[in-house]
Amino acid sequence: MKSAIPILISLTTLATVLEADDTVNFSREVLPILSNKCFVCHGPDAAEYGEDMRRLDSAEGAMAATDSGRAIDPQAPAKSLLLLRIHSEDDPMPPADAEKQLTRAERSILTRWVEQGGNYSKHWAFVKPRKINRPEKETVAVVDGLIAERQKAAGTSFSPEADRATLARRVALVLTGLPPKQDLLQQFLQDRSPQAYSRLVEQLLSDPGFGEHQARYWLDAVRYGDTHGLHLDNRRGIYPYRDWVVRAFNNNLPINTFLTWQLAGDLLPNASMDQRIATGFVRMNPSTAEGGAIPAEFQAKNNFDRTETLGTVLLGMSLTCARCHTHKYDPIPQTEYYRLLAFFNSTAESSMDGNKYEYGPTLKVPRDQAEWQQWRNLQRQRDQLVNDIPPAGGLSPDEEKKYGSVSSDERLKLLANTKAGLANSDVQQEAQQLVATMEQVRKGFTSTLVAQDLPKPRETRVLRRGEYNLPTGDPLQPGIISVMGQFPAETPRNRLGLARWLTSSDHPLVSRVLVNRIWQRVFGDGLVRTPEDFGLQGQHPTHPELLDWLAVDFQESGWDLKQLLRTLVHTKTFRQSSTWRTDIEDPENRLFARAASYRLDAEVLRDLGLWSSGLLNPHMGGEGVKPYQPAGMWLAMAHPASNTKSYQRDKGDRLYRRSLYVYWKRTSPHPMMTLFDAPDRESSCVRRSRTNTSLQSLGLLNETQRTEMSRKLAERLIRESPDDDARIDYAYRMLASRDASAKEQAVCHRLLQQMKARYAAAPKEAEQLLGIGEVARDKSLDPVEVAAWSQVATIMLASDAAIMLY
Amino acid sequence: MNQLYPKPNPIREHELLATRRQLFGGSALGVGTAALAGLLNNDLLAEESGVLGATHHPAKAKRVIYLFMSGGPSHLDLWDYKPKLVDMFNQQLPDHVRGGQRVTGMTANQRNGLPLCPSRYKFTRQQNNQDGVWVSELLPHTAKVAHELCVVHSTYTEAINHDPAITYIQTGSQIPGRPSLGAWLSYGLGSLNENLPHYVVMHARTNHPEQSLFNRLWGPGFLSSEHQGILMRSEGDPVLYLSNPKSVTSGDRRKQLDALAALNGEQHKRFGDPEVLARIQQHEMAYRMQTSVPELMDLSDEPKSTFELYGEDARTPGTFAACCLNARRLAERGVRNIQIFHRGWDAHGGLPREHGSQCRDIDQACAGLIRDLRARGMLDDTLVIWGGEFGRTAYCQGNLTRQNYGRDHHPRCFSTWMAGGGVQPGITYGRTDDYGYNIANPDGTPMDPLPDKADWRPGTMHIHDLNATILHLLGIDHRKLTYRYQGRDFRLTDIHGHVIKDIIA
Repeated sequence: MKSAIPILISLTTLATVLEADDTVNFSREVLPILSNKCFVCHGPDAAEYGEDMRRLDSAEGAMAATDSGRAIDPQAPAKSLLLLRIHSEDDPMPPADAEKQLTRAERSILTRWVEQGGNYSKHWAFVKPRKINRPEKETVAVVDGLIAERQKAAGTSFSPEADRATLARRVALVLTGLPPKQDLLQQFLQDRSPQAYSRLVEQLLSDPGFGEHQARYWLDAVRYGDTHGLHLDNRRGIYPYRDWVVRAFNNNLPINTFLTWQLAGDLLPNASMDQRIATGFVRMNPSTAEGGAIPAEFQAKNNFDRTETLGTVLLGMSLTCARCHTHKYDPIPQTEYYRLLAFFNSTAESSMDGNKYEYGPTLKVPRDQAEWQQWRNLQRQRDQLVNDIPPAGGLSPDEEKKYGSVSSDERLKLLANTKAGLANSDVQQEAQQLVATMEQVRKGFTSTLVAQDLPKPRETRVLRRGEYNLPTGDPLQPGIISVMGQFPAETPRNRLGLARWLTSSDHPLVSRVLVNRIWQRVFGDGLVRTPEDFGLQGQHPTHPELLDWLAVDFQESGWDLKQLLRTLVHTKTFRQSSTWRTDIEDPENRLFARAASYRLDAEVLRDLGLWSSGLLNPHMGGEGVKPYQPAGMWLAMAHPASNTKSYQRDKGDRLYRRSLYVYWKRTSPHPMMTLFDAPDRESSCVRRSRTNTSLQSLGLLNETQRTEMSRKLAERLIRESPDDDARIDYAYRMLASRDASAKEQAVCHRLLQQMKARYAAAPKEAEQLLGIGEVARDKSLDPVEVAAWSQVATIMLASDAAIMLY
Repeated sequence: MNQLYPKPNPIREHELLATRRQLFGGSALGVGTAALAGLLNNDLLAEESGVLGATHHPAKAKRVIYLFMSGGPSHLDLWDYKPKLVDMFNQQLPDHVRGGQRVTGMTANQRNGLPLCPSRYKFTRQQNNQDGVWVSELLPHTAKVAHELCVVHSTYTEAINHDPAITYIQTGSQIPGRPSLGAWLSYGLGSLNENLPHYVVMHARTNHPEQSLFNRLWGPGFLSSEHQGILMRSEGDPVLYLSNPKSVTSGDRRKQLDALAALNGEQHKRFGDPEVLARIQQHEMAYRMQTSVPELMDLSDEPKSTFELYGEDARTPGTFAACCLNARRLAERGVRNIQIFHRGWDAHGGLPREHGSQCRDIDQACAGLIRDLRARGMLDDTLVIWGGEFGRTAYCQGNLTRQNYGRDHHPRCFSTWMAGGGVQPGITYGRTDDYGYNIANPDGTPMDPLPDKADWRPGTMHIHDLNATILHLLGIDHRKLTYRYQGRDFRLTDIHGHVIKDIIA
């Protein structure tokens, strides 16, 4: 019952430990207080409260001389109004009736700060990140060095390295969303060379499942859904965008390019199909066609949504306040909000979706990854053919002239149709064949929503109080948030210019925000614990220098996502044990003195079950799939005119696809997703909650697909392993990447014996149990044994050894 | 639902850690799993309050039953008696009455303009604790409990279409992404019963399902997803995945859960993560729910008089009456927050037929619920709310006759009632002009309820005011129940909301 004396770590005490001297850190200590307690009135929107309202969000404002004196007087700190008022009993600030009052500690910080001269500096997130000088050469070592320093200051250090099996499972789950396959695991465990781990990582990075898993996080952020979202919530043709995201991650498309295509692929010269599909990002806002809705109102709402999503996803902050008035905390004037919005205000789609699948503009594109591959191959053949064939002599002079200036498709047609020298040649036959095949494939294409600009931009004005019918002031040029830098010179004022600004190395936020989220997915929590808010009200990074180092390094690497992940998973920080420590009290793991442990995401839970039971269908891409779902869930909520009012469950192998492909109806996503904290995708989500509820228990143990997985896992164990001991170990190797412990063996055996006896006494019930789910049962196996095993498998699949990352 | 282990709560984590040490301190997993479950039950589940711990002020209501009439019931045909409209039949709505109000795309350009449309229904004055309240013949049962109701005639909103309007009244914002009223309550107050969900949502059957509902209406928004409303369904399992698979008995499940707890105990021994212990507890609670929910849904213990009260419909699962009866049973068992959605009030055309059917669905059950709660001594601390997302226009949509007509959406005024839970019984609040088109001053002249967004005018109840008042009755200061997201301390009422003290007992 004894426990070590805990070292209590909290943000403030940690800061105190590290601040050797008494100097107050403005950015970390003062600004959060000013922002939270003072800026509502004395901040960027001070003018709202009168012309002479004093501003405390800049040194100029705070030190300006007025009749009553200076808020901060560096020459005579004791005379500073700020100090007089925060300590005044008669006339205090904040006023006695204000909702937020200063604490004693906060008053003390402000006092010390003013006494030390009241220096201002920019909020850290608006200052361009830079690398500090470090003794280490490699980024991996820099990460560990910076983490270790802070641990040392708190009197602790890393946990020992995790055992190899646990590490293999962890890294596979983090990179691909599934545990390591058996052969990969064995190969790694047997490979005792120093490169073994790196080899494992490389294999995982090149697994097609990598892109599928990483895409999920991005789709949460951009609120990807398969329906329009509002009112009828009809079907929307947009899944090629989801498949493009998967391809982009698998091909390791540099992230600056990844972003540019999404914001402005259509504006690139000779935009490719992929570049245009990517602009589905711009079209991802929920939309409506509700009878009676007013188009101008939804033009405004759609734009708010896009602008504010951009804010959350790439700038790491809410711009929403500035929709109605100048931001209260962050330096974002209302005018700049509408300038930013203006980039999106000139897209060509109507503000109402017409309840249409093809809510134009749309583009015809291949349906899934296999069709993409086929299309790519045909294009390659075409290019080879048209580039190899020097037309000289083979074409008529007119055709030859044309040949030099037209697209590959046109060239191919010239070859296929010419009556000159090439007529009836092998080349012509090949060209004709190719034209016909491409035409055939094209016929099967599906459509996807894309962005396109109007020939003449729409006028954008500030909307007073954010009301669509209250435009005010002069028309605005598209523009950026000035506290985040300059709009790059000689760049067009359109979405392409916007992308250039966001991905420029001068931008203080984008790389930090992205790197933080990638850290979060690798380590469970971000370096900034409020990934959605890097503004003045957000949390300060636990390791600011590290965040900045990684942000700069990410840019220097060419925005190379795989490289960043490779680096992170090689760190000691990642490779240490996740066992909770009793020698330090750091429940939020701000010191990263152990690896993360948490319950896996909804999609991973399902995929893991499908995979271990051998049901997983590896088909990639295509229209969303509809696995089992309790009857009537959509019907109970949908409008009778909606084309998603009834859930038509899929049949056959579509039931067993990875969860990334599960159909996402925004007003009613699949219940096994929402039960395990998946967002509705109506608004951006950059951090899912992780709850632990009794309803989750019911889902884990009773849902049809899970019952089906259990019996297929049972069959597999029986078929592929000789005896019960080996079967239990085999299940644990798949689910936990290790053999079962003696105790686990004993527990599983006991349950197995109980269940065997129980179903032997009621063989009909065993058969009934094995009839749940569509997939046929293996009739060569004894139903009593399979039923008994399936009940053990249910428990194994639901146990924390399977459903957690650790 | 119950989350023992909210991520950013070091104190809670500390407690869990301490408990873990007591349980496992040094030794191997020595406790039997049943004992383990019992220990956890006592030690970890002793209290389950929300983030507030204690309410801001003494609560008048312990729980809410919210009868949501989705689609926008016609105040003019149910609650807001406008006899002068009879003589104005088919006259155009005067511009000075419309006062620049925007009109939806459905009636903006209709051929017959905006012809005034008196209700075809007879209204009678019912005794209440003031000078009476007029109730339409469509609601004969509800009329008889008028002395229990506080009828608000001056509820209003800005949204003019269903999706934004219903999202607005439920979440305080017209744009998706904010937590619902129920989620806020769950977040603030926690649960009274660990064996049942703390926020239950039911969808009642209707003959006119011409509306959609959305998960977001009972969704958690940016709050932790444990606060989302749990659907209590009339088809299949009442709570999703409640039943064991066929051929798995409760005894089988017990054995499975014992095994599961033992396996998870091993996992805990290995890694020490307190969440593992919390999950063992959740599995046990799920097991208890498998008994408590069917028991809840089993009406065989209800006497005949219950069905005389709620109507025979209450025997048919999924009807509004059955939902109301379930609501009472849930309330009895400590569920704090119950919401019934009844769709079909969007009467653009054929209003008499549609509202007739809708009122038959709800009338007796509403009255039955009030009486039942009263008889059981529960009405005093149960707040019952009835209302929709907006009202309907004084002018007709489509063809107008004395007997048949339709009405478009109307945000400027609509009627809502409340009962019990610390609301003054038998009163009315606010009034509208002779057209039922604008909120009016006591003298009947139209009033702009929102001359300046910051101010509140007596006699008006914006939906933010409604929500502020609901929270107030539950002991919550709507300005203080906040959650920091993206740097801002969000609350249900945004930066608005005024508690309508005049209706509080």
